[in-house]
Amino acid sequence: MTRADRIVIAVIAVVAVVSWPVVVSAGAADATRVAIAGPGGVTTRNLDSNEELAIVGARGEVVVRIADGAVAVTEADCPDHTCVRTGRISAPGSVIACVPNGVIVRIEGGGLDELDARVR
Amino acid sequence: MSSTHAFADELRGAQPGLRSATLRVAYASALLATAVVLGLVESSLPPVALLPWLRIGLANIAVVVALLLCGARVAALVSGGRVVVIGLLTGTIASPVFAMAATGAALSLGVMVVLQRSLPSLSPVGLSAAGSVGHMFGQFLVAALVLGSSSVFVLAPPSVLVALAVGAATGLVAGSVVSRITKR
Repeated sequence: MTRADRIVIAVIAVVAVVSWPVVVSAGAADATRVAIAGPGGVTTRNLDSNEELAIVGARGEVVVRIADGAVAVTEADCPDHTCVRTGRISAPGSVIACVPNGVIVRIEGGGLDELDARVR
Repeated sequence: MSSTHAFADELRGAQPGLRSATLRVAYASALLATAVVLGLVESSLPPVALLPWLRIGLANIAVVVALLLCGARVAALVSGGRVVVIGLLTGTIASPVFAMAATGAALSLGVMVVLQRSLPSLSPVGLSAAGSVGHMFGQFLVAALVLGSSSVFVLAPPSVLVALAVGAATGLVAGSVVSRITKR
């Protein structure tokens, strides 16, 4: 290894280490979103927001609550309340469906909390 | 064996590059074959525990040797040829994996050629380490495009450190191969 080698390797390593927190926080800013699809169209919110939305469904109102980085359907005008019993979801790709009302809450995009593909 | 001697004489006089066109063709072919075999060996290795994404980049040894002995053009042939042949042999051709391999290989060689020309005091170790980082970035670019999300770059900094280490290791091997060939 020559001096030039050490310099090049050191520079790249330092850039990697210094950029680590920056990249991680930028990745966190690529926020996870909540898409709520109902008969009236799609509503999108950031998962880290804190709000309660009343969505007009096919049978009545569906109350969607976003809090602490998770979404849940807290109230729904439907016979079986499967959506309410689904509880809180937070992982990208997770879905809460309220079939009688035609409302689907889905988490999109965002972080890499879990592996979903592996390439070798 | 006089032919072996002539071969060695030609090589001895040829440093740093190989001048004879015949020798260059012979080397390019042998290095491409080596790169393909190394790539296949690597693709059949079991994933390392905890680091399933770790690739040593064995095939890159042949590319670095080609770059040092025969120049950028032959190195590009060896690198591009091996990506296509390994893609065909492992059945990943025309898949995102192939796009990642091809982009990684192109970026890696590009980085190494630029560094070889701008920093001649760099040894194969530094050259290969930087090329390895280039390869990793090429793969991340394609992964980000395929996934439609730049969040994969969160994994980039640790990968850079690993790429430096494995790149330096393969560079060490490539350097010793080159010195054995040229300084017999």
